[in-house]
Amino acid sequence: MSGTDALIGRVTSRADPPRDERGVIDAVWKLESARIVAGLLRLVGDVGLAEELAQEAVLAALEQWPASGIPDNPGAWLMAVAKRRAVDHLRREDRHGRGQERLAHDLSTRPGDDAREMDDILGAVDGEVGDDVLRLMFVSCHPVLPAESRVALTLRLVGGLRTDEIARAFLVTETAVAQRIVRAKRALADAGVPFEVPSGPDRTARLASVLEVVYLVFNEGYSATAGDDLMRPSLCLEALRLGRLLAGLVPGEAEAHGLVALMELQQSRSAARTGPSGEPVVLHEQNRGRWDRLLIRRGFAALLRARQAGGPLGPYVLQAAVAACHAGAATAEETDWPRIASLYDALVRVLPTPVVQLNRAVALAMAYGPDAGLALADTLTGEPALAGYHLLPAVRGDLLARLGRREEARAEFERAASLTRNAPERDVLLRRAATCAANAAEGIADIGGIGSVEGVGRIAGIGGVGGVEGGIGGVGVGGVVLGEAVRVFLARPGLTAGTLRSYGQTLSRLCLRLGADLPLQEATPQRVAEVFAAEWGTAAGATWNRHRAALRSFAAWAAGHGLISADPADGPTTGQTADPAAGKAVDRAAVPDARVAGLGADRAAVPDVDRAAVTGARVAGLGADWGTELAAALDRRPEPRGRVRPIARPHLEDLWARPDVAPRERALWLLLYESAAPAEWALSLDVQDLDLPGMSAVVRGRRRRIRWEAGTAALLPPLVGDRRRGPLFLTDRRPGPGRAPAAADLCPHTGRSRLSYERAEHLFKRATRDLDPGGEGYTLHRLRHSRLAHLAEDGWTAPMLMSLSGHTSARTLRELVRAGQPAEVTADPPCPPPERPRMPARPSA
Amino acid sequence: MRFLLTTTGDSSAPDEAMMAEMGAFIEEMTRSGVLLATGGLEPGGVRMTSRGGEVTVTDGPFAESKEAIVSFALVEARSREEAIELARRFWKIVGDGQGAVQQVFGPEDAPR
Repeated sequence: MSGTDALIGRVTSRADPPRDERGVIDAVWKLESARIVAGLLRLVGDVGLAEELAQEAVLAALEQWPASGIPDNPGAWLMAVAKRRAVDHLRREDRHGRGQERLAHDLSTRPGDDAREMDDILGAVDGEVGDDVLRLMFVSCHPVLPAESRVALTLRLVGGLRTDEIARAFLVTETAVAQRIVRAKRALADAGVPFEVPSGPDRTARLASVLEVVYLVFNEGYSATAGDDLMRPSLCLEALRLGRLLAGLVPGEAEAHGLVALMELQQSRSAARTGPSGEPVVLHEQNRGRWDRLLIRRGFAALLRARQAGGPLGPYVLQAAVAACHAGAATAEETDWPRIASLYDALVRVLPTPVVQLNRAVALAMAYGPDAGLALADTLTGEPALAGYHLLPAVRGDLLARLGRREEARAEFERAASLTRNAPERDVLLRRAATCAANAAEGIADIGGIGSVEGVGRIAGIGGVGGVEGGIGGVGVGGVVLGEAVRVFLARPGLTAGTLRSYGQTLSRLCLRLGADLPLQEATPQRVAEVFAAEWGTAAGATWNRHRAALRSFAAWAAGHGLISADPADGPTTGQTADPAAGKAVDRAAVPDARVAGLGADRAAVPDVDRAAVTGARVAGLGADWGTELAAALDRRPEPRGRVRPIARPHLEDLWARPDVAPRERALWLLLYESAAPAEWALSLDVQDLDLPGMSAVVRGRRRRIRWEAGTAALLPPLVGDRRRGPLFLTDRRPGPGRAPAAADLCPHTGRSRLSYERAEHLFKRATRDLDPGGEGYTLHRLRHSRLAHLAEDGWTAPMLMSLSGHTSARTLRELVRAGQPAEVTADPPCPPPERPRMPARPSA
Repeated sequence: MRFLLTTTGDSSAPDEAMMAEMGAFIEEMTRSGVLLATGGLEPGGVRMTSRGGEVTVTDGPFAESKEAIVSFALVEARSREEAIELARRFWKIVGDGQGAVQQVFGPEDAPR
């Protein structure tokens, strides 16, 4: 472009601008949809109808605007047309005798025929537009809807996004989104969800649901990567917008401001989060010059408003405060880690998830040294919720590296790399592993930074329902390492190509998960079982058995060749592989020799005398045991006959929405489904066991905790009522004379007794008789397992399911849950196609 | 996408009613999360010129003050159409005048 052109600019006549009507209508719609739909919803009382009417207005605009030109106030135009349609509709309904009630309710006087009079009445309705939008948000985020439906419906109605935009953003098909929205609308209608801002104790739970939806949208955008459709990162902006809108509508709610602050501050780092080739850049290495100062300032302002709103510090405010600590530090070194650590101390009290604990470990390490962090991080290795979660080994690797334990650090980084699905992240982790290896060789001090703190919280927040036994055993024990043993095992002569391939698959996966340099004796049954559960826990029976056979063959071979030395002093903490009769510790100096000899020669000959003495003494006793014990937790897969088939999701959704279900049953069923806990546990709950804000309860006698979700959370307060003690689920009548139940099963308030399993079962069977093709009705057991099956379909791994459900054996679970197995579905309604794995997000900075 | 909406010096003078209407509009845009920042600018300001390594500072008044920016609004919009729609609403309130709608490139658009 020449200088003259630049001076003149692009001289296109804009007197009659060639505006793209479709684009303008879309823009106007996005700006106005919340208010238009909310206003219509107030008039007609049905979400589906409200949106339909709004769409009719948009269609009218598409027809008329190209000819008439775009009106001066396009938003008002759409609103006016939609309202006319609404009134027409109501009149039509009225003629059919159905609309009277609504009209009487919504328009205190019956509108006359005069259009002007009508407009006046409708104008009066406009007065409370803000409240209408708030009501709309409470409706679209109603806990009767599953989270994915709440998200879709909110983006559609409040954000004004088109179905195809939502589908692109969430990497699902347009049909799937459309189905979610249709089902959501129907569920809302069936449940008779009122168009109102909830009050009282209900309000807190309902608001939490709205905040959750907004943050889910944000996290979905936040997890987008460089190659993604731009629609995905823009979800962050959409969420920010929804959050700001919400905070403006409920200015007294600290958590709403907290969420906005959290999102503004996280979003302020969006440009610095990735490097030139799309690789993630960890917080302390980010170029702070790329942080968006405007958003930081807005984040601080929102945090200030949260503080001014008062009340106890909730999870969003606390996380925003952590984010503010980062944002306020001019350099990474100036970060106020002691303050962050104390914020995490507070956060872990209101949000006691393993992921928050992991963040806290990082903060402790930064504030008080890697030892402090590692001590906490080490307690998390047995958390089923974190099994397969790459940031746990990443953090441990980092802390180990900072302690100079580079070999262990390298193993952790490699494990982390094998667990992440994000390729750039994997590269970063492998580079760090390589650095550790290099430094270990050269003896250079490692000055690596902390693992990826950012985003730690947003993968899986499923509460750790009690730790699975086992854990990481002692590290640094000498002996043959897993990778070498596998290599030699597979190099044996006489293996057919098929066997080699099959064994190779199993064992290479084992090496990847456990680390190829893991001393063989540390491959405890627990750790191997965890790998099996994570890798193949939900696979078909034949697959499971094949991998199991490969493992057994390898274990028997390794034990028979004296490659394992089990030692009570240095061995795994579980003690299961340790030989109680074992003698003194392995001479570490002898280990390298033994390794070379034992592996190079593929035979039991171990030239080193000390080692030979130690090993030889126990080969006989240990060998066969080790082989069988290693696979002890891995039973052969039983016949699939006994498997409990899941109830189809649409059936359950219909069930939740059914108006004739009593509140007690609705709460119990939803609780069983959402918590996937055994019915005995749920029925054994007492009112005083409940942690309603925490959406969980302690199952006494089992020392386990069951957790539910928003659906149950909304139903429990009315069920509990004024009761403060005694059984949660009560019988309808008081027990007859002579049938006095135990005091613990009697409600001190009402004199009624605890609902029995038999009765609960009977009621559920009766209610589901028409859903069951067999005509018998479903059992509560089946309801519980349906949830597990559905989660498995959604990509939950077996350890996560074990943690959620309290199943102690992967085998039991495997019997019942198989991923990809469709639930039984009759012809209608349609079952959504399996979608990309999603896990519930929990907020974290 | 961020857009900077600006007005130049020849807009019609504000009266009280217009100020009230504009206040409501700004509040609404802020609440809906669209408006990130807004402000007015002193007319003219100081003129800076850099030529051949020499930086010159010139005080006003300037003859072409009508072309100088006097107010701005930074908005977060989902599309250019949306930014234009917001600007249009703004001008409906202001009345006569002129300005510009320009996309703002942030750090995320900068070469790395």
